[in-house]
Amino acid sequence: MNSKKQVAAGSRIALSAMMAALALIFSYVEAIIPFNFGIPGVKLGIANLVILTSLYVLSFRYTLSINVIRILVAGLLFNGFFGAMYSLAGGLLSLLVMALLKKTGLFSVVGISMAGGVAHNLGQLLVAALLVSTGKLFFYFPVLLFSGLISGILIGIVTYLILKRLPERPLG
Amino acid sequence: MIRKADILLAAVLIAAGLAVSWLLAAGNEPGQMVYIITDGKEYAYYPLSEDRTVTVQQEGHINKITIKDGKVSMVFSDCHSQDCVQRGKISKTSQSIICLPNKVVVEIRGDSQEYDAIAQ
Repeated sequence: MNSKKQVAAGSRIALSAMMAALALIFSYVEAIIPFNFGIPGVKLGIANLVILTSLYVLSFRYTLSINVIRILVAGLLFNGFFGAMYSLAGGLLSLLVMALLKKTGLFSVVGISMAGGVAHNLGQLLVAALLVSTGKLFFYFPVLLFSGLISGILIGIVTYLILKRLPERPLG
Repeated sequence: MIRKADILLAAVLIAAGLAVSWLLAAGNEPGQMVYIITDGKEYAYYPLSEDRTVTVQQEGHINKITIKDGKVSMVFSDCHSQDCVQRGKISKTSQSIICLPNKVVVEIRGDSQEYDAIAQ
């Protein structure tokens, strides 16, 4: 019984490590090919595919670890210190919002991802406003809100397709 | 796959976005003064009506700001993103140019602030 539990814990940790690595690769892809259509601050956020999937397959605790590891390593490798600060604010706020909405049981993965996208951009905007200490930055809020909404919906649809294809209990 | 709550949430978010855009557009009037703010502190201010080029040098960063024909633009920045340079010319009170990496903000303000300048 005990050993069975240990095996399950071990496979969860192995899966988390794999997810963190995959999320990091997605962050890297987005760093070298930004999908921002010439608008600063806009991005697709493909790493959120992994984070969202992990929120469903694993748990909030594991997802939090995966996300923090992804952001810190991406900061060390290519995003830099300030990049990591923006990501951390966006990533944590977004994950918190998504986990809370998921807990209500009212929303589909598309709705959760959409709210996460908006929360991510809002978190980044808050940090940026703090850094330059100006509220003027909020003129940019509508652009970031709509871009977060749209990219969140796209990521949500893809995550829905991924979740549908995953085995019912991926950890056996 | 999409539920009623999702659509409701999207509607709320879109309404919030539109409301903020509308509020911002309401403050859209031609400005008089150009304020340059670095690292959260006022660095300098100039009337929008006088043509000039200002070089802002701080913390090893260089930004050049040009006022010409009642419009302001960031003509040069040593930052990597160059978003501030690409922002182009601004002239209304609701607009600003922000160089995040160098922490330089260019704001346009209207009449109301002139009293402060006189009081000083």
